[in-house]
Amino acid sequence: MSRLSRLLLYTGIVVVLGLLVYFPGRKAARAHVNYITATTDHPLLCTSCHLYTQKTGFISKMVNADYLSPFNLAVSDDGKRLYVVAQEANALLIVDAESQKVLKRINVEKKPHSVILSHDGKRAYVSNQWADDVSVIDLESQKVVDSLLTGNGPAGLALSESGQYLYVVNTYTSNVSVIDLNTGKEIKRLTAGDDPTGIKLSPDGKELFVTSRRANIVPYGDPVVTELTIINDSTRRVVEYKDMVSAYMMENVAFTPTGDLGLVTLIRPKNLIPAIQVEQGWMMTHGFGVIDRKNNNKVVQLLTDEPNSYYSDPFGIAVTPDGKKAFISNSGADRISVIDIDSVRALIARATPEMLKSYPDNMGLSSHFVIKRIPTGANPKGLTISPDGKKLYVAETLEDKIAVINTETLEKVADIDLGGPKRITVARQGRRLFNNAGHTFQNQYCCYTCHPDMHEDGLVYNMSGKDMGRNVTNTESLRDIGGTAPYKWTGTNQSVYKQDGMRFSTFLTRTEAFSYDDLDALVAYIITGIDYPPNLLYNPNGELTAAQLRGKEIFERTVDNFGKEIPPIDRCITCHPPPYYTNRKLEYVQTLSKTDDSILFDTPHLNNIYASAPYLHDGRAATLEEIWTVYGKGDKHGYVNDMTKNNLNDLVEYLKALRSPEYDNQKVKIHQASVKPN
Amino acid sequence: MNRFRIRIFLIAAVVTGFSLILLTSCNKNSQEGLIIITQVSGKLQNINYVNGNSCRYIPQSRISAFDPADPERSFKVLTTAFYSARSPEVSCDGKHLLFAGQLKANDPWQIWEMDLGSLKTKRITSTQNNCTDPAYLPLGEVVYSENLPNDSLKSGHSLYTGNLDGSDMKRITFNPHAYFASTVLMDGRILSVSRKVYPKNGKSLLMAMRPDGTKCELFYRGPDGRAITSRAWETSGNNILFIESDENNPENDKIISVNYNNPFASRKDLTTGTEGAFHSLFPENSGKLLVTYRKSADEKYALYEYDPEAMKLGKLLLNNTDFDILEAVEVNVHHRPRKMPSEVHMDIKTGLIVCQDANLLDPALASRKQRLPETAQIEIIGVDSAMGDFSPEPDGSFYLRIKADKPFRIRSIDSKGNVIQSCDWLWLRPNERRGCVGCHENPELAPENRIPMAVKKSPIGIPIHVSKIKEIMIDTE
Repeated sequence: MSRLSRLLLYTGIVVVLGLLVYFPGRKAARAHVNYITATTDHPLLCTSCHLYTQKTGFISKMVNADYLSPFNLAVSDDGKRLYVVAQEANALLIVDAESQKVLKRINVEKKPHSVILSHDGKRAYVSNQWADDVSVIDLESQKVVDSLLTGNGPAGLALSESGQYLYVVNTYTSNVSVIDLNTGKEIKRLTAGDDPTGIKLSPDGKELFVTSRRANIVPYGDPVVTELTIINDSTRRVVEYKDMVSAYMMENVAFTPTGDLGLVTLIRPKNLIPAIQVEQGWMMTHGFGVIDRKNNNKVVQLLTDEPNSYYSDPFGIAVTPDGKKAFISNSGADRISVIDIDSVRALIARATPEMLKSYPDNMGLSSHFVIKRIPTGANPKGLTISPDGKKLYVAETLEDKIAVINTETLEKVADIDLGGPKRITVARQGRRLFNNAGHTFQNQYCCYTCHPDMHEDGLVYNMSGKDMGRNVTNTESLRDIGGTAPYKWTGTNQSVYKQDGMRFSTFLTRTEAFSYDDLDALVAYIITGIDYPPNLLYNPNGELTAAQLRGKEIFERTVDNFGKEIPPIDRCITCHPPPYYTNRKLEYVQTLSKTDDSILFDTPHLNNIYASAPYLHDGRAATLEEIWTVYGKGDKHGYVNDMTKNNLNDLVEYLKALRSPEYDNQKVKIHQASVKPN
Repeated sequence: MNRFRIRIFLIAAVVTGFSLILLTSCNKNSQEGLIIITQVSGKLQNINYVNGNSCRYIPQSRISAFDPADPERSFKVLTTAFYSARSPEVSCDGKHLLFAGQLKANDPWQIWEMDLGSLKTKRITSTQNNCTDPAYLPLGEVVYSENLPNDSLKSGHSLYTGNLDGSDMKRITFNPHAYFASTVLMDGRILSVSRKVYPKNGKSLLMAMRPDGTKCELFYRGPDGRAITSRAWETSGNNILFIESDENNPENDKIISVNYNNPFASRKDLTTGTEGAFHSLFPENSGKLLVTYRKSADEKYALYEYDPEAMKLGKLLLNNTDFDILEAVEVNVHHRPRKMPSEVHMDIKTGLIVCQDANLLDPALASRKQRLPETAQIEIIGVDSAMGDFSPEPDGSFYLRIKADKPFRIRSIDSKGNVIQSCDWLWLRPNERRGCVGCHENPELAPENRIPMAVKKSPIGIPIHVSKIKEIMIDTE
């Protein structure tokens, strides 16, 4: 056989074999993609799921990038320097406000949240939300000189009028640490509303307002109430918990220069109403609360939304030194809403009590006081105004830039590039989509709205599956859910792809579905980009306490307290095996209510379960204990009725210690005693 | 010719051919920039906007096109094969034209599509009824108005949607209103001029609804004495523009602008200071408007450019002493609206509606310190019969399962039997779930966040005498 004939023969064999593999292979790939995406026309892109969803390793490094994600910022008294918290870079950036250049990058601890400058301008304090401390930075040497221990999840920061005390808002333990800066020690911890973040000292130096984000846990149907905590600065005691009715997600607070009004950003959710439409503010509305300090802290809530356009996820708020304008960053709408404060005063002054009742739900009122919507880059968050009041600085979190806005012309005059990666990775694009309400009808809400910090908002919604008033569901966390399919309480979604696909648009966002490119990006972000915070409160270093160890034994036990074997299906470990503590199956746990359709429930994952109250599919259990003391009497949700109270306490202690396996291989910083500042 | 030259020749021919293919395929749409108009000869009839017959079906109207750079030489009648044609709308890619037309004098008006390159037409609708005012829906669908003279629902013109190949035509409005002059908003909804025609004629309103006919709601209501008489157009600046006529002064038709975000509080007259009547408008990409306008009733409507910022009439683009120019559109490539998902399920025969509080006081009334009596009874009324009555829950809520695609009105009645409030005609599509805040409802009002007591019970079936409807429920989420 000639060389040519052999070549042709081999080529023919290769082609035939190739075809033999190609046709059934393609058919199998099609079936696989159809199953995962729950569609029949998704392009057969293996990269969608097998490249961009890699969490670790070489490929992950190639397809992802290290962004800065500026989150909050402060400006020096002379207006020359900006101090920008780069949340994903775990750093504080010092920026020259005139040349608009980054002068220095100072590494701090994990997930920095806020920055504040000392009264003399010599130090910066940066709260590190995932490290439970505050980095003290000497601004002259531009070095971290101290680390102040705080409670769990430090976020907002404020200094006392004297400058001696630093107030640190601990988000995860819902309290405020008071740190004496002379000693560097925490002297007391004040209980705040649930999930607090923002804090501000009033201009008269008398009170601090602390905003909280989560509503008090109440039985489904009771009003949504979130607390604004008011602290007396001189006594350092809480003087009032102000109820903000029908509102939550109060991210930040500001005062007018005279201090007569406090302004807090807020969202007014509609979780108690059947989720049957988006039109007419039926799911979420957004605005701010006006607290009249001269009138017994009377609150009036106003919406910044309009009847056909919503400005989702208000975050930052800042007032000009002349007290004329307030700026609110609508982080889900990529806009700054500019509020004319005199118009707000006039609107409230001329309202009858009947009118005031309707104000919080009236979307037409915004035309009276919103004087401009200024477009920004992706996901505007923290705001600060230059001391002369002429410039507003906006942290464009998913743009890696700081927008500079002229407060007179209300135009963006510059964008300060902080030097993050220029390419937008697939996962980064997914994060932008996650945080942007553009994919919901009339921009009413984004994924982030119900999943703040990519977690959950603590509310129970009436999703009206088959009928209004039925099938209420507790919002589930999105942290590290890649390995926990299926999704939804009913377990009907086999992939994140299906969860966020066509049906999601039909019944939740109620507008055009995500394009496949966008869906690929969103899935990539959800699967790879959302980590658990470290469980510093209950399990900082993997070493369980004695109680937790006893609880672990109970969790894994096979016999009860009387030596009788527990059927495998009634053992905790059967349905909740590590590493995610879910068997990813549907189970019957005797928690079906009269308003539920008869279904089995997807077994939820349990890592960081301490941070996900309320519990059970409809949020009826306010605490982990209640799962068994109130709702576990039939022994179908684990065999517990032989337990003593101490046994249950131990079990709960162990459950609270569960954390992401990712932290098992990481070194955890051991806090050293604080150094007394010079 | 030697072999080498032949090769060179062949290669050159192939290269030229491919180049031509490349060049022609990359060429912009050659029709872009053309202006397409509707012309009508003779004297205009008195316009009746209620039944639409005299303004929608104008005999011997024709659609023409011209290049504004050279109107005279470029002028061309596009619908020479038609006895009458009007209501042009250009597709998003700028390559096709929808219009209403009749081939012969006694033919019903139908919806047609024209390829603007070849000028070939294809018929989209096939019905014995008159059809008019077509508009492109995203991804190969169309919406239009069809006159239903013997409709049991007593409607005038109803809206229909379907595919551009003529398949899957379906009615989407089901109440005694006439729906005309639809436009498709960028949010994907249909915006129509709507007017109640039964039991008596009502005011013309702009109503917005999803393309499956669900969630129909008031978008804009003009001041008393004004009527919306043209199609509305959405501008790139987020405004909705249309013509409003003065019911007492027919030669004072104005261009009105409302902002999409808040149409109830943003009405602006863009023609303040300009005397005369505007008949139609079209927003150009440049920000200027094409308007058909006449200074007095003695003149014919001519085509002008109009500057809405300066509020000034601009260049005269075309006039003809024999023809009124009634409509104009520019051929351009524009963004397609969003494709909305649908919750309609034709296997379901009912829809659900919840009202949160029948006693809710409109803030406008509250500002006048007005009090209304407490609602004791809710009455549901059909076109020609009562459909049921019942007491609302103590919190004022009620929850109904209503036969789909049937018009109904809701009336609140006090303990003495007096009617407190009556809302306009509604309908629900099969499987539609809908909510309203209250009977004295202000469209700017979002619902209060509380569980309506009514949804803790099963819905009341309407009509009550056939309330035992057994049917499958579709799990929607």
